[in-house]
Amino acid sequence: MTATSLTRPGERNRIGSKLAEIDWTFIGLLCVIAGTGAIMLYSVGGGSFTPWAANHIVRFGVFLAMTLVLAMVDIRVWFAISYPTYAVALLLLVAVEVAGDTRMGATRWLEIGPVSFQPSEIMKIGLVLALARFYHGATAQAAKWSWRLLIPAALIAAPVGLVAHQPDLGSSLLILGTGIAIVFVAGITWRVVAAGAAAVAVIAPLMFFFVLHEYQRQRVLTFLNPEADPSGAGYHTLQGKIALGSGGFLGKGFGLGSQSQLNYLPEKHTDFIYASLAEEFGFIGALGLLIVYGIVIGQSLRVATISHSHFGRLATTGVTATFALYVLINAAMIMGLAPVVGIPMPMLSYGGTVMLTVMIGFGLVMSVRVHRYAEITSGRGTLL
Amino acid sequence: MTDSVNFSDVNERQGAFHRRTFVLGGLTGLGIAVLGGRLAQLQLLQTEKYRMASAENQFQDRLIPAPRGRILDRFGIELAASRPNFRVTVSRDDLDDVEKTLDVIGELLPGTVARREQLLRQIKTSPRSMPVSLADDLTWDEFSRITVRAPELPGVIADMNEARVYPFGGAFAHSVGYVAKVSDRDIQKIKEKTGQEPERIYLHPGFRIGKMGVEKALDEDLRGKAGAQKAEVTAEGRVIRINHAASTEAVPGKDVVLTLDADVQQRAIEVFGPESGSAVVMDIRNGDILCMASSPAFDPNKFVSGVPGREYRLLNEYERKPLLDKAITGTYAPGSTFKMVTGLAGLRKGIPPERRYTCTGGFYFGRRFACHSTHGPQDLHAAIKNSCDVYFYNVALEVGPDAIAEVAKELGFGQTFDIGIDGQKPGIVPSTAWKREYYKNHPHPDMRKWWPGESPSYGIGQGALAVNALQLAVYTSRLANGRKKIMPRLIRSVGGVERPSGADVPDLPFAKDHLERVRGGMAAVTDIGGTGYRNSQLGLGPLKMAGKTGTAQVRNYGAGSRKSTGVQWSLRDHGLFVAFAPLDQPRYAISVIVQHGQGGGLAAAPRAREIMKVVLLKDPEMRKRMMGPPEMQVAST
Repeated sequence: MTATSLTRPGERNRIGSKLAEIDWTFIGLLCVIAGTGAIMLYSVGGGSFTPWAANHIVRFGVFLAMTLVLAMVDIRVWFAISYPTYAVALLLLVAVEVAGDTRMGATRWLEIGPVSFQPSEIMKIGLVLALARFYHGATAQAAKWSWRLLIPAALIAAPVGLVAHQPDLGSSLLILGTGIAIVFVAGITWRVVAAGAAAVAVIAPLMFFFVLHEYQRQRVLTFLNPEADPSGAGYHTLQGKIALGSGGFLGKGFGLGSQSQLNYLPEKHTDFIYASLAEEFGFIGALGLLIVYGIVIGQSLRVATISHSHFGRLATTGVTATFALYVLINAAMIMGLAPVVGIPMPMLSYGGTVMLTVMIGFGLVMSVRVHRYAEITSGRGTLL
Repeated sequence: MTDSVNFSDVNERQGAFHRRTFVLGGLTGLGIAVLGGRLAQLQLLQTEKYRMASAENQFQDRLIPAPRGRILDRFGIELAASRPNFRVTVSRDDLDDVEKTLDVIGELLPGTVARREQLLRQIKTSPRSMPVSLADDLTWDEFSRITVRAPELPGVIADMNEARVYPFGGAFAHSVGYVAKVSDRDIQKIKEKTGQEPERIYLHPGFRIGKMGVEKALDEDLRGKAGAQKAEVTAEGRVIRINHAASTEAVPGKDVVLTLDADVQQRAIEVFGPESGSAVVMDIRNGDILCMASSPAFDPNKFVSGVPGREYRLLNEYERKPLLDKAITGTYAPGSTFKMVTGLAGLRKGIPPERRYTCTGGFYFGRRFACHSTHGPQDLHAAIKNSCDVYFYNVALEVGPDAIAEVAKELGFGQTFDIGIDGQKPGIVPSTAWKREYYKNHPHPDMRKWWPGESPSYGIGQGALAVNALQLAVYTSRLANGRKKIMPRLIRSVGGVERPSGADVPDLPFAKDHLERVRGGMAAVTDIGGTGYRNSQLGLGPLKMAGKTGTAQVRNYGAGSRKSTGVQWSLRDHGLFVAFAPLDQPRYAISVIVQHGQGGGLAAAPRAREIMKVVLLKDPEMRKRMMGPPEMQVAST
């Protein structure tokens, strides 16, 4: 244990000490991503701050402040609210099921007064907290293989099922992936990992034929062969690849991407903004940003490894997994390596919901970093 | 097992976590590496492919339909032309929400509400970047309403194109024809004919294809060649700029000039009124068809934007058959108008024109063949003048069917002419050879033989004989011309290139005096005492008309009355009249058929007279002769 202000009991709770412990390089990288997003939104907005770029910047500023505040929140507070957060998120998901607002064919939104939001986003944080708390109180043996693992299984299955039913394939995949990542790093036996991988290989085709909605099935088929229907279902995939490929090494230049500027690129300001970036700034820009994302993920995982509390480790890993899944799935989708699912590029795409989720997550990660030596004694973290 | 977390377990837990996190980080790193590799593949290796795809996106080949050539009458009056059409189209790719868009359009243009299902189907099946027309012929008010709302309706475009218009309505419906939307059947035909997918232009919403008459026959010439515009467009189809260097101009269609005279044709349609039939007028000097009208007609303008199914069914089922071109497609027994053929056959076979046959009101050959009157002794001149059947019964029996058929064919029957449009029916000119051929599969060999008892009817233009109005006009022209085997011409020039004249033909194989004898008979028909006298007086001074009436029997009179009055329309006699004018120096020939119009002198002759009056009055030389001092009224030879 190195001697820092955090190790000296009198100083660790001072705001100044805490702020000093925030990974400012990490915050800087987040600013780089959001800034790139603003630049691209300015470009695809026709060289204008409206309607997207200005909003994006303001939003990021507000959320960044919030992230810093959350980083100050004691890790024990996070620990204490983990199960309640999960419970509230689950209740809201049920509420959506009952009284949700249907937009574009899917019931994802819940309106309370003037605020409308997607409970699935709250669940992304809630699940991470709940699983981290559960494993915090579980022994290595229990985490490896025991009947108690039914609890995390249920914790994951409930939101995944509810969100998939909305239907929101992207979010439910994301929640599932995050859950699996936590269960994995918590130390589940390799046998289950192997069996799980084998099961996916078997179940995936069955899911495809019997569980997926027609439009979801269509997306998968389109992904496999986009040229089959270039103006219909394959349009997104094809136009994304065209934008990317035509960018070349150096790109077409800022504001000069014909795919984005002439609206051939669908969802150019949200899910496909990375394609606009690749078109206008080429391989250099696209790879550069990908590397920045990689560093953010790496830094975040590094926070997990230096945390002294198991709760902190797992929570950080969970948040990182969510973020990494966003990045990997979105990029793979744009590059034609994955079917088109509605998953944006975090912090780059326009849209407050995902940015809020990610920034709350990073608030948690920073809190873990700031409080990495804190001992969580209250509660043993078990449900039973 | 205890829930307590001891140190060794904590260490194991932490150790496992570190290893697993390392694996997870490694997997993420691998994922990012794969994505980086994919980026390199798309952006570094396949750049060219996607650059081209991007350019294709951005620069759209927009078809520019060529202006369709006009169809003009002999004086340059437009029979078919183009007019501006304000319309609203929609393209599928750019629609946000079809239903919502149609809702708004329905509010603005209530007329589209009824066609909603049809429009939805059209939009859903339309090919990419090919707009669908929602409504044509908008008023200025409607057009501006759409234009104002267009920005909030992506994919909806209000613009102007050219629509075909037929200023004379039905008058030229059959000869000029009409254009209509390309139907699925047309596409099928093109595929079968060329063995490949039809050109894109066929799918263009403004494109029309000729379906009848000249519009159909000369479609290729009239159509021109569509241009292509390289335009930089947004995905919504909004044009940013046009690359003129890479665009090709549309080549306008060729103008077609017909030999028809709009005034004459219109007069013909007018005089028919509700009656069914046709009138053909020809210039006997060169074969130009001045009029080729079929009545009742239909409004071809309605077919351009698509005639409603109900209306089409009504037209199609109406017993007077407005959709049929009766001038060339409908064939009828010529009745007594055919008697000049029989007469000529007799002259050629050596029957002297002075020979008389006595009419006692009937003729016995196996059975009784009736005449409409008792004429007494008749020579050729009198027989034509009085239209005496008995004379021609005798001549037909004497010369036989083949002699009649030979003359009939020389004069234009039993054949089609190269006038440039489809739909001509050759009709039937009976002969022994024809009968052998016609009944070749009949079980009874006697049916293949010509029986003398069939000849008398043939002599008066009845029996199996079937002719059309154009053939009657050609026949009359050749009789009137007296020398040349005049051929009809409908299309005068295409794109300024003259079509061969109908006068550039061999001579008729008849002796001049034979033709003169026959013409003399025709002159007597319209003179005092002739069958056509009362209704064929032109009232144009020295300009007289010679002709021949005909009443073609449709039913078997049996023992009943020959009168058609009170008989149902479809069983009444056809009235026919053929004529030429002026008598002293023939210039124009006319044939008129009034289907089920009863007597030729009554139904057909007055109509022929009215039409002929217009023809003569439009000829400046004829006007001069008519109005000038008596010395100048004489024909100059």
